[in-house]
Amino acid sequence: MPRLIEVYEDNIRDWFPEMLAACVGTLKLSLVAFIVAAVIGLFVALMRISPRTSPRWIAISFIEVMRGTPALVILYIVYFVPPQVGLTWLTLSSFAAAVCGLALQGGAILAEVFRSGIEALHSGQREAALALGMTPAKTMRYIVLPQAMRVVLPPVGNYAIGLLKDTSVCALIAAPELMLRAKDLASSSFEPMAVFCLAALFYFIMSYPLSLAVRYMEYRLARHG
Amino acid sequence: MNFWTVMVDRFPYFASLLLKGAVMTVAVAAGALVLALVLGLVIALLRMSRSRLLSGFAYIYTEFLRGTPALAQLFVIYFGLPDIGIELRPVEAAIVGLGINGSAYLSEVYRAGIQAIHRGQFEAAFSLGMTPIGSMRYIVLPQAVRMMLPPITNFSITLLKDTALVSVVAVPEIMFYARNLVTETFQSMHVYLLAAAIYLVMTIPMSRLVAYLERTRRAWQ
Repeated sequence: MPRLIEVYEDNIRDWFPEMLAACVGTLKLSLVAFIVAAVIGLFVALMRISPRTSPRWIAISFIEVMRGTPALVILYIVYFVPPQVGLTWLTLSSFAAAVCGLALQGGAILAEVFRSGIEALHSGQREAALALGMTPAKTMRYIVLPQAMRVVLPPVGNYAIGLLKDTSVCALIAAPELMLRAKDLASSSFEPMAVFCLAALFYFIMSYPLSLAVRYMEYRLARHG
Repeated sequence: MNFWTVMVDRFPYFASLLLKGAVMTVAVAAGALVLALVLGLVIALLRMSRSRLLSGFAYIYTEFLRGTPALAQLFVIYFGLPDIGIELRPVEAAIVGLGINGSAYLSEVYRAGIQAIHRGQFEAAFSLGMTPIGSMRYIVLPQAVRMMLPPITNFSITLLKDTALVSVVAVPEIMFYARNLVTETFQSMHVYLLAAAIYLVMTIPMSRLVAYLERTRRAWQ
């Protein structure tokens, strides 16, 4: 333990700015992946609750496959397969592949979250809007989604925390983020313990405020319904 | 060469290695699950203890482990611990890493399950003269277990998928064999799709089971 402190005293000036820069990469990756995942998720959720059979089954298969496969496998497929089978137009940079891979899995997770939010809403809301002559699309847009939004905020927040941590897996396809930088620093300094503990601390600093926010939202929802 | 001819041609070879990996995947997941179940219960009981010190420790433990990626924890355990003289073999590091990570999740599941049991159950057990440990063991936990079954199964699914990470510390599981096969044969699409299929064969029945457990739980509530 005293040795660990010594290692930090010697190296923290070099490591800190490098890791801070890498944290920006992690946040950027999380944010972009989150936005894409939310768009995919909404789209898949609407397909999932569609009264028609074929979109529903496409959505169910997408959700089951993406949720049942490890993120690492999806990332490898997105990143390594297109260049090897000659699909040059689908060959992505490591950052773009990381966004795609995380967003595909996230889309499936969020689709289920959105669906449960929409289905938690009393059916009278939808029926009343339709009775007032609103189109199904307008009902969804102006009546159902705004109300469902409130209910899904805590699980969406939980997903965001999971996503932030899952970006660490993208180090394995060399996407520019914190874990990759930590691996580099660990192998160049021969101090893996110190470096990886510091990296873990950085992740904690990024995710803990989010988890407090989620807890607050859950508390408010439980109190005010 | 067309996709299916390659697939049919190489399938026995790919499948034999990947399935060997799948056995290791299941073994690591099972080991980590057992460790997480035991450690998680200890942490949950500490968290609910009346001592500020113990519950504070349990709070920090769960928050920190849930707030950091499993990959970082795995790296600390496998690459970091040798610095302080603890050297674990890859499989041991994988089970300990995923088990400790999981214990933080499961402690929250246990806590939610125990706290969902009405206080009256506890009080009735006390007034019948049972000790706190006895009432926990015979009255509260058996009821809480039924509440906790779906989230624990859900956790097992996540755990099974998370074992893919331990390929980076050279545990010979599915993704480890998959990566080796790709370097050897350059058939990344076939190999990774097969790997994905093996994971799906394991996870989809489990997620069906969760759906079933949730339905039955709702039915008798």
